[in-house]
Amino acid sequence: MNLEKVIFGFFVLLAATLNFGFFIGDIDNPALHNIYELFAALAVSLIATVLKFGDRTQIGAVHLATSLVADLQLVAAGVVWIWASEISASGMTAAHTASVVSLSGGALLANLVSVVLLVIETVTFHRG
Amino acid sequence: MSNPLLIFWAQLFGHREPARRVPARAYIESSSQASSTILLVMRRMRAPLITLIVIFSVSVVGLTLIPGIAPDGQPARISLFEAFYFMSYTATTIGFGELPWPFTPAQRLWVTFSIYLSVVGWAYAIGSLLTLVQDRSFRQALALRRFTRKVARLREPFLLMAGYGRAGELLAKAFDALGQQLVVIDESSDRIDALDLGSYHADIPGLVADGANPHHLSAAGLEHSSCAGVLALTNDDETNLAITMSAALLRPDLPVIARTISTPIAERMRAFGTPAVVNPFDRFGEHLHLALHAPASYQLLTWLEAGPGGELPERGRPPTEGRWVMCGYGRFGREVTADLRAADLEVTIIEPAEPDAPEPGVIIGDASEPGVLAQADLPSAVGLVAGTDNDTTNLSMLATARRLNPQLFLAARQNQPTSAALFKAMQVDALLVPTEVVAHEVYAQISTPMLWRFIQEMPAQGDRWAADLIQRLRDNCGTALPALWKIKLDREQAPALGGWLAEGRVPLGDLLRSPEARERRLRVVPLLLLRGGEAVLTPAAKTVLARDDELLFAGQGSERRELESTLVVDSTAAYVLFDQHIPASWVWRKLSRKNPAPSTLDDRGSMTTRRR
Repeated sequence: MNLEKVIFGFFVLLAATLNFGFFIGDIDNPALHNIYELFAALAVSLIATVLKFGDRTQIGAVHLATSLVADLQLVAAGVVWIWASEISASGMTAAHTASVVSLSGGALLANLVSVVLLVIETVTFHRG
Repeated sequence: MSNPLLIFWAQLFGHREPARRVPARAYIESSSQASSTILLVMRRMRAPLITLIVIFSVSVVGLTLIPGIAPDGQPARISLFEAFYFMSYTATTIGFGELPWPFTPAQRLWVTFSIYLSVVGWAYAIGSLLTLVQDRSFRQALALRRFTRKVARLREPFLLMAGYGRAGELLAKAFDALGQQLVVIDESSDRIDALDLGSYHADIPGLVADGANPHHLSAAGLEHSSCAGVLALTNDDETNLAITMSAALLRPDLPVIARTISTPIAERMRAFGTPAVVNPFDRFGEHLHLALHAPASYQLLTWLEAGPGGELPERGRPPTEGRWVMCGYGRFGREVTADLRAADLEVTIIEPAEPDAPEPGVIIGDASEPGVLAQADLPSAVGLVAGTDNDTTNLSMLATARRLNPQLFLAARQNQPTSAALFKAMQVDALLVPTEVVAHEVYAQISTPMLWRFIQEMPAQGDRWAADLIQRLRDNCGTALPALWKIKLDREQAPALGGWLAEGRVPLGDLLRSPEARERRLRVVPLLLLRGGEAVLTPAAKTVLARDDELLFAGQGSERRELESTLVVDSTAAYVLFDQHIPASWVWRKLSRKNPAPSTLDDRGSMTTRRR
């Protein structure tokens, strides 16, 4: 057992699950999408990105790329949420909620790819 | 360790250091890995960055969870965005105050906690980054990367110089004056700093690296297509051997020049291809031999080897018969003694250590003691060589010897560059500075192959010839050595002479006339004519030139440009060679029909049109 692998797998999976938790539910209903869950998804996704730094393998590079995509999508979702709730006059409308959730849906796809990569890496690993 | 908890414990606290340590040598090994320095930064910044993210998230979320009171008196929490904004300016010590409204004591308690937490996080992150920048291996990797990129971008032919000692510095200056690009590696960072501080016209890439490591050599451009030669000039014979070996195996086509003071090492170097091995002691012996037999030849040799701008050295007059005293019978002493004996001179040797096989005429003792020198019977000797590897000993021997016999011819070996002023003040008649011998020798071999050919064939011409040539050089170019340059009479460099060369109508003397007034002869001295591998030294004025002849000239740059215009411009060539004025343009030439040599002009006409 390798502690580094445990932590790495934990954060990759946690980023995907949090993202999924935020994403699930009616796309235009603000009551079904907790903003704290989005925040947690973003924070965990950032940590997962940092964990992927400095890996020279090909699969490590793809890992980092998917993580960066997820970060970008989640940051975009966060910015849309701030715009809707703090700046725009109409507040969190159904349309705003839909765009926040769909952006996080894109991040979810990237996170799922990350998880698939993790599984592939585990399956192809042969000990000596 | 079957208990998972124990394993977890061991993983967590047992091997923290090895898990984080990045192998320091791994990225020095090859130049391709030098590009991964950015990955190294990221890898080492993992822990601080994660700490920072966690601290930030915890403080932001905490702040939104604690209830506050809005200006209207109603309990209200601040939003995630407000909390993020507040934490951003607080954690970065900007501190705009309590926004959007004054905090409650509960919120202030949490903010106090988060401020301390975030300061620790920032300090950790910035501290790690600074440590990384200071890290020696990291800086080395950065330097290697910059150097590799610089070398890879070189587009002109360059020489790879391993070892930037005294000889390397002298050579670098001479080559820089010639416009020859160099790449330097040296083991000592002081020497690379000296290279950076040196005032060179070109930007010479330098790297602190071990020349014996082939990876470093290839980073320095050994496998680069523009690499024109390898100079192994380090102080260590083994390293020079390793460099010679790598160069011969990786790039057999490159010329290699290696320095050594040991004959066995020289033999081992010659086992790999055909490196030119320079042994300063050996060369000094040969020079001394030449100086004894042909002072003028020796004077010419040292002048030509001194590089561009070198002052004409004085002509020494060493005694050609009589007894010499050799102090110090090490490697240097043996070489010189052998050369002196080969010149039929009697040699008395003074050696502090008892040699394994006693030889005739050897006095055991420290030559710096006046009593020992007196044993050598200096008043009846004609010359003394102070050849120990200690400058102080050499100087005191010279002083004593001069007191005992002021007429002695004094030769000395200078070991440290710092002693140069002392030896100069001593006014010795012949001085060996091994590093300078190496530098001059390498310069002569590399700068133009024709100069090397000239130097090799020169001693056979005799002393009188050398004295005449020195006089000619002085008359034409002054006492500072003029630039040496070569010209090949082919279609590239001498298009104007094409047909006349084939017909044998170009004597050297007529070619060397001024394009402005052909009565004036150009102030250049032809040193060497190379025709199909045959060399003619100082070709006479009536020598008829042929196509593809190669010539080595000595002369100032302005004279060189005049000669080059003769070689390139048709009408100038016709005037200089035959005193005929022909029109420069094709139309006027056809109209005037005034041709010095009809067949050749047509030939040349078609040749020039083909060229354009």
